[in-house]
Amino acid sequence: MSAVLEQGVIDRSVAVPDTYYDKVVLRLVQFSIVWAIVAMGAGVYISAELLWPWLDFGQPWLSFGRLRPLHTNGVIFGFGVSALMATAFYSVQRTSHVSLFAPRLAWIVCYGWQLTVLLGGLSLLGGWTSSKEYAELEWPFDIAIALLWVSFGIVFFGTLARRRIRPIYISNWFYGGLIIVIAMLHIVNNLALPVTLDKSYSLYAGAQDAVVQWWYGHNAVGFLLTGGFLGMVYYFLPKQAGRPIWSYRLSIVAFWAFVYTYIWAGPHHLHYSAIPEWVQSLGMVMSIILLAPSWATLINGIMTVSGAWQKLRTDPALKFIVLALAFYGLATFEGPMMAIRSVNVVSHFTDWTIGHVHSGALGWNAMITYGTFYFLLPRMAGRALYSTSLANLHFWLALAGTMLYIMSMWAAGVSQGLLWLNLDETGELRFNFTDIMAGMAPYYGLRLLAGLIFLLGTCLMAWNLFMTIRGRDPVEVTAPDVDPLYEVKR
Amino acid sequence: MTGMSLHKKLEENTGLLIFGILVVSAIGGLVQILPVLNQESLETPTGSTEPYSAVALTGRDIYIREGCSVCHTQQVRPLIAEVERYGPYSRSGEFVYDRPFLWGSKRTGPDLHRLAGKYSDDWHRVHLLDPRSVIPESVMPAYPWLEDAPASEVGDIQKKMQVLQRLGHPYTQDQIEAAPQQLEGLTELDALVAYLQQLGSAVSREEAP
Amino acid sequence: MLPLRALIAPKKTCGQLAASEPAAMTIMFRYAIWLLLMPPVFSWLGAYFFGWRLGASEPLVLPAATLTLISIGYFIALLFGFISTALISRWMATTYGANRQLGRHFAFITVIGAPLAFASLGHLFPHVFLNVVILIPAMMWSMYLLYSGIATTFDTVPERGILMASALVGWLLVAAVSLLGLSMWLWVAGIGPSLGV
Repeated sequence: MSAVLEQGVIDRSVAVPDTYYDKVVLRLVQFSIVWAIVAMGAGVYISAELLWPWLDFGQPWLSFGRLRPLHTNGVIFGFGVSALMATAFYSVQRTSHVSLFAPRLAWIVCYGWQLTVLLGGLSLLGGWTSSKEYAELEWPFDIAIALLWVSFGIVFFGTLARRRIRPIYISNWFYGGLIIVIAMLHIVNNLALPVTLDKSYSLYAGAQDAVVQWWYGHNAVGFLLTGGFLGMVYYFLPKQAGRPIWSYRLSIVAFWAFVYTYIWAGPHHLHYSAIPEWVQSLGMVMSIILLAPSWATLINGIMTVSGAWQKLRTDPALKFIVLALAFYGLATFEGPMMAIRSVNVVSHFTDWTIGHVHSGALGWNAMITYGTFYFLLPRMAGRALYSTSLANLHFWLALAGTMLYIMSMWAAGVSQGLLWLNLDETGELRFNFTDIMAGMAPYYGLRLLAGLIFLLGTCLMAWNLFMTIRGRDPVEVTAPDVDPLYEVKR
Repeated sequence: MTGMSLHKKLEENTGLLIFGILVVSAIGGLVQILPVLNQESLETPTGSTEPYSAVALTGRDIYIREGCSVCHTQQVRPLIAEVERYGPYSRSGEFVYDRPFLWGSKRTGPDLHRLAGKYSDDWHRVHLLDPRSVIPESVMPAYPWLEDAPASEVGDIQKKMQVLQRLGHPYTQDQIEAAPQQLEGLTELDALVAYLQQLGSAVSREEAP
Repeated sequence: MLPLRALIAPKKTCGQLAASEPAAMTIMFRYAIWLLLMPPVFSWLGAYFFGWRLGASEPLVLPAATLTLISIGYFIALLFGFISTALISRWMATTYGANRQLGRHFAFITVIGAPLAFASLGHLFPHVFLNVVILIPAMMWSMYLLYSGIATTFDTVPERGILMASALVGWLLVAAVSLLGLSMWLWVAGIGPSLGV
């Protein structure tokens, strides 16, 4: 025992303790919140356009077809990726017990990314688009994204490489998976020959392009919106709960099963299309298998948080995380179910898909991020959250908004799917398309209300966090000593 | 070596972890995507499928620019109700000159793959400029700015065709040379309507289910 | 009447539940079964007399035999949902330091399900949007009952109650979406409205 203690003392005298580099983390969090409001605002606006189409005022850049990619890209790349970068930089330092590698490059990543999202967003409004979903940005932006993404990887893996603690903590695997797989998907899917600055033609055509696109599209959801955010869970949940992950072994198995299985599931977006039958079937089977690793992680999370109930008394952040896990459970179940051909035949192309995406994006991604931000900012400010009751109000608004959204889209989607396919006794179509479409207005109204409620909650959070951090720099934190048992011997 | 001790190596070495993730995540793509990219039948045109004319190509690029594929699919599934509603189901060979594919993922509006000839040119013109004047319940945006913009300014048509030629579309030199002339005097609206009017026409309604 | 009492005075009812040890079968046959029968019966009546109104111009009228099949399926799904939720609730009780007396779990699920069962009166006129508008407040009331009553009913601390309730919400969301998926599957298989697939 005393030998161990002595060794610790000696190590400390040799290595200069590192101070964590958190300024870039704070800035990324701020950008993330700004993008959340902008992109969700765009979402609310286009949902209103589906009720009142004149809302585009005859302006090309306000037109639904151009604003919708701004909404999706803004949420995924503005809000989501900024939050992922922030939390990755924050947690990789703390799980490695060293400060950030190449902080200047980290700043370039931070501002470069914001600039790319901003200019990219404007270019979408200007009609520059490849039209491939979640990869709409044209080739100049694709190149910028690739460079910035690699830089993100250099900062992240560079920090990992000089860590002072031997094991690489599980949250870093998920962030690592996010960086590597998204790089691969992004580059392969966006291969194109440029014509002019604002126009290129895909290297793939027709059915082949479709298969590549949904290999990308589905796994952007998988490795960014699921895997990346699981990295967030694996660091912040045990941290917030103040206890270790329930089962380490389960997390290992779930991680590799997740990385292996997810990649196959894309073709369920192309059921009954003109791609080969075996690709569709394989995509469906793998989608169903995917439920196992997804839920293994869910169980791990729930069991971890279940031992930390005392914390709920004081911590609004933990409530968000608990609820996020419930919606994660829903979304990861609903997805495989909708990948089954005989369910998909009704649900495909309907608003049910939109509802499914939002049970993930609002219920899981946004809530887990909000929980993490409510945890992070008071710590960085070195003082308590400005208003706990405001955070609690936000919690109920977020829950109500999400529930209202997915329920209205369930009803709309099932109605559409059924009415489109319904035949009368003579085998003729019973309903015409226009009537079915016109009948969706009440659901679109409910959805607009749901979006407004959710956006209001987000604005409350922005205000609350702004008042918490107001004018302060992040508190300086020094890396603690590493247990000699796990220390990297240099 | 047990599984756990093997894993110990992975979780203590950054390089190995990167390599492991790359390999494990690539398998699916290699087994599932690569064969599709090498499947010749997916690159063989069906029926009278031809590369887009200069006008239709310009129209298609306008369709892409305005995000039409956000609300309209271009894939008729092989289902009784769908064939009845839209026409013959979509074949892979009809899309070999589609870069990118425009199958879409959401039907806020109807499928458009078999749109060719369903309505007159004039109907399309009126509908695109003011959808609610022909379909009162429609929630489609109006596209008044297409009416005055010249089609020749939607990018450099010759360069576009040359790029597509390099990607394997069998355009002849004559076709490329004649392209600017074909666009002369046309508006964006004309080009878009021309594109819509040839959608799915490679497979005739009478021949195929 | 336990379910009605729960609607009017939820706190008091949960307090009484906490002091009692009801038999699961008593709860099941005296209360739960009637609540579970309400939605299928109402939906049969509504669909038979008015037809499904899914937002399109004309209602979708299905033959009585099909309606009966759908209602039976609906009842079985609800019964399965009810029993499985009660069992899962009891299974989770260990994790959250809650009481494991089976009858009490049956009774509690009956209590939180009651608003939804009564809201199924909306099925009598099966206009989908009308039903959504009726069911959403009912569901919120159910969630309120769940979150506010769970700790009292199962003698655990409120914080652990919140966790247990959230875990149950997760399960119920999955159950709800399963019901949707199952309906699609049955329709496509030919039980229900005729689809041209």
